[in-house]
Amino acid sequence: MTPAIEAVGLTRSFTVTERDAGLRSAFGGLFHRPTRTVHAVRDVNLRIEPGEVVGFLGANGAGKTTTLKLLAGLLHPSDGTVQVLGHRPARREPAYLRRMALVMGNRYQLQWDLPAVDSYELNRTIYQIPRDQFRRTRDELVELLELGDLVRKPVRTLSLGERMKAELVGSLLHQPEVLFLDEPTLGLDVVMQRRIRTFVADYNRSRGATVLLTSHYMADIEALCRRVVVIHRGRILYDGELSRLGERFTAHREIEVTPADPAVDLSPYGDCRPCGDGRSRIRVPADEAPSVMAKLLAEVQVTDLTVAAPPIEDVIEQIFASNAEVLP
Amino acid sequence: MKLALLYLRVQLLNELQYRANFLLRLVHSVLALGSGLVALALVFGQVNRLDGWDSHQLLVLMGVYTMLNGVVQMLVMPNALQLLVEIEEGTLDLVLLKPVDAQLAVSLRATQVWQGLDILTGAGTVVVGLVLAGGVRPAAVPAFLIALVCGGVLVYSFLMSLTISAFWFVKLDNIGELFGGIFQAARWPVGIYPGWLRIGLTFLVPVGVAVTVPAEVLTGKPSGFGLLALAVLAAAALAVTRVLWRRGLRHYSGASA
Amino acid sequence: MTGLPAFYLAAARQSVIQRFSYRASNYLFMAGMLAEPVIYLIVWSTVARAQGGSVGGYTPGSLAAYYIVWTLVRNMNVVYAPAGFEHRIATGRMSGRLLLPLHPIHYDLAGFGGAKVVWIAQWVPVAAVLVLVFRPEFHFTVVGVLVFLVAIWGAFVIRSLFLWLIGLVTFWTTRASALFELYLVLELLLSGRLVPITLLPQWMQNAAAWFPFEWTFGFPIDAVVTPRSPSVLLTGLGVQALWVGIGSLLLAVVWRRAVRRYTGVGA
Repeated sequence: MTPAIEAVGLTRSFTVTERDAGLRSAFGGLFHRPTRTVHAVRDVNLRIEPGEVVGFLGANGAGKTTTLKLLAGLLHPSDGTVQVLGHRPARREPAYLRRMALVMGNRYQLQWDLPAVDSYELNRTIYQIPRDQFRRTRDELVELLELGDLVRKPVRTLSLGERMKAELVGSLLHQPEVLFLDEPTLGLDVVMQRRIRTFVADYNRSRGATVLLTSHYMADIEALCRRVVVIHRGRILYDGELSRLGERFTAHREIEVTPADPAVDLSPYGDCRPCGDGRSRIRVPADEAPSVMAKLLAEVQVTDLTVAAPPIEDVIEQIFASNAEVLP
Repeated sequence: MKLALLYLRVQLLNELQYRANFLLRLVHSVLALGSGLVALALVFGQVNRLDGWDSHQLLVLMGVYTMLNGVVQMLVMPNALQLLVEIEEGTLDLVLLKPVDAQLAVSLRATQVWQGLDILTGAGTVVVGLVLAGGVRPAAVPAFLIALVCGGVLVYSFLMSLTISAFWFVKLDNIGELFGGIFQAARWPVGIYPGWLRIGLTFLVPVGVAVTVPAEVLTGKPSGFGLLALAVLAAAALAVTRVLWRRGLRHYSGASA
Repeated sequence: MTGLPAFYLAAARQSVIQRFSYRASNYLFMAGMLAEPVIYLIVWSTVARAQGGSVGGYTPGSLAAYYIVWTLVRNMNVVYAPAGFEHRIATGRMSGRLLLPLHPIHYDLAGFGGAKVVWIAQWVPVAAVLVLVFRPEFHFTVVGVLVFLVAIWGAFVIRSLFLWLIGLVTFWTTRASALFELYLVLELLLSGRLVPITLLPQWMQNAAAWFPFEWTFGFPIDAVVTPRSPSVLLTGLGVQALWVGIGSLLLAVVWRRAVRRYTGVGA
């Protein structure tokens, strides 16, 4: 099956002018500015099949937004190739643009002073969508996102979350096959975040659209993506199933225990940290977890006990800290 | 001492950042002056005198206009706009609580010094005009300076009064552009305007006399309006502004209480 | 109806509705704009009277006509400003526009074009007042009026193209405003905005021939103010078309470079 997205050796570097603090370089800056090359994305190889939902994970400045922009066509590569739906995205051919959509959190394409429906109408003409199809799609999307009459009010009067929903409707009117989402839930409250996640998941299921998503929020990735690509310092650190990510990189388990007697010392069992309310967390190597648990239950009066893999965030932190360069 | 040096250092760093802004301002000033000069040249390509003014005298007039424009852009307009914003947003209280005369404070604090470049280019133009005209009577210079100050006071009073009306009306967004348009009328001697316009530019929007009279004084032309009349008008305008300010403050404090 | 005409219709219609809701501020803006032509009119009428009744072929009456029509043409010349580019890039709208299968300039042409309809309608009563006050002498001919109606839109398109060009400079430097100021000064002097072109010294008139300025300002005005033969008027429309062509060509070339730069530097 031809992949929806294929990138080979994708690289993007920027030249940045240097400016130190201090008077001398400020004067120097008037004449000559020293430059430095930043390698934002280095030798990225990706293959994404149609209908996949892939999450890009990485620290700030790791290169995930840059990668997304390279794939969408907002940046052209310094080196390497990328094909989306058979097109070179940076060419921005109308045939390609009609089949894709990019939505960026906190960035808006809707006209500010007009109601969203007016912007939708403009999009209808821009994408040359037949009127009936347009009306059906629009009404469907508005209903799915529970916007109702909000689309008739000027966009600037809407709240952040409502605006984002209205943006999504506008971006999907032409039923794109590939959807790029850059931090779509940025700045939204928990309820809204969940709403949008559900929507994107439904959209992917019902239309079979390929979805690429970058996010700070692990919850977004966990809720939507089976496959995750971890980007660190411009390179792909991990590309595979989310569930395996934890396994692959964690060698630890966390046992959260609430002892009946709060004064009891739990340190003999492992790396112990109190976490309030009389609870403590004990970190033990994964293979020792069952035996430690058994010992704990036998030797200590315990009111409550749970065991879990450490949160993904900790895993990621650990990966970055250890600077591992592994691919599955 | 160390603190002072540090502060100085920061200021200098700041200034270098705005080097480009300064250059832009200079270019703008020169371009504005240039187009004014071209307009003058075009007029004097056709006639020798315009309403009794010859080319050198009009050059002086244009210089005075540029100087006054510089004062307006540097001192009057930024403060007026700032005041307008604060009235609209209700944040004027902070100023009113300071132990300084509030009107003075709101008139001076938002001064944009580098906009005053026009004062220099204008002064230069005035000098060139005087040189070409053959010099100036020494007695005329102090009279000119007084007239210039009066003119400045007049324009200040007018703009301030207009801004103060925002205490009652609030919505005065386009004041900057509107004024800029009407101020252009002062580029030319107020005498060329037909009766009703001339009266308007003298008493209603006194930009006409504010520029013409100082120019007349400096070039020794017999002044229709006269220095004395200008001074009286300026004093009256200032007084009216003060009264309006007091009234406006009372209204404002009453409103926000 | 789909495609570009449909877009223009939809965008223009929305723009009309929006502009209409700003009626009051429209009038305020127009009032402020009146100062400039009235001042020029008075200055040049004074000169004309000093010269014995006319200057450069214009009498006080035809000067009045010139500067009254000036106010409409001035309005038609108000287009998307280069400063807007900086805003668009900073807010990320430029990125969004780049990913639409439509050249971004159409947004501006359609939006401003629609607004012009409202401006023209609001201008008519203002013009009526000016006519009563200044007693102008027009020179209406059938061809002249028709050419005028076409030429004001030609002026709008030409100026939109060239100001867009200046705006594109923002992709390379934030100092596009300096270039814009230079453009404005040249335009002020060479377009017929400050004075009718025939009042300029010959060398300036020759210089003006190299720029599109006089075709966006003086030409439409003169079509209904000074006697011109139909062939001259129609040739003028042809020259306007030429400038539209030049502008479009330059725009296509620079736009390509600008996008290349933008997609190489990111935003």
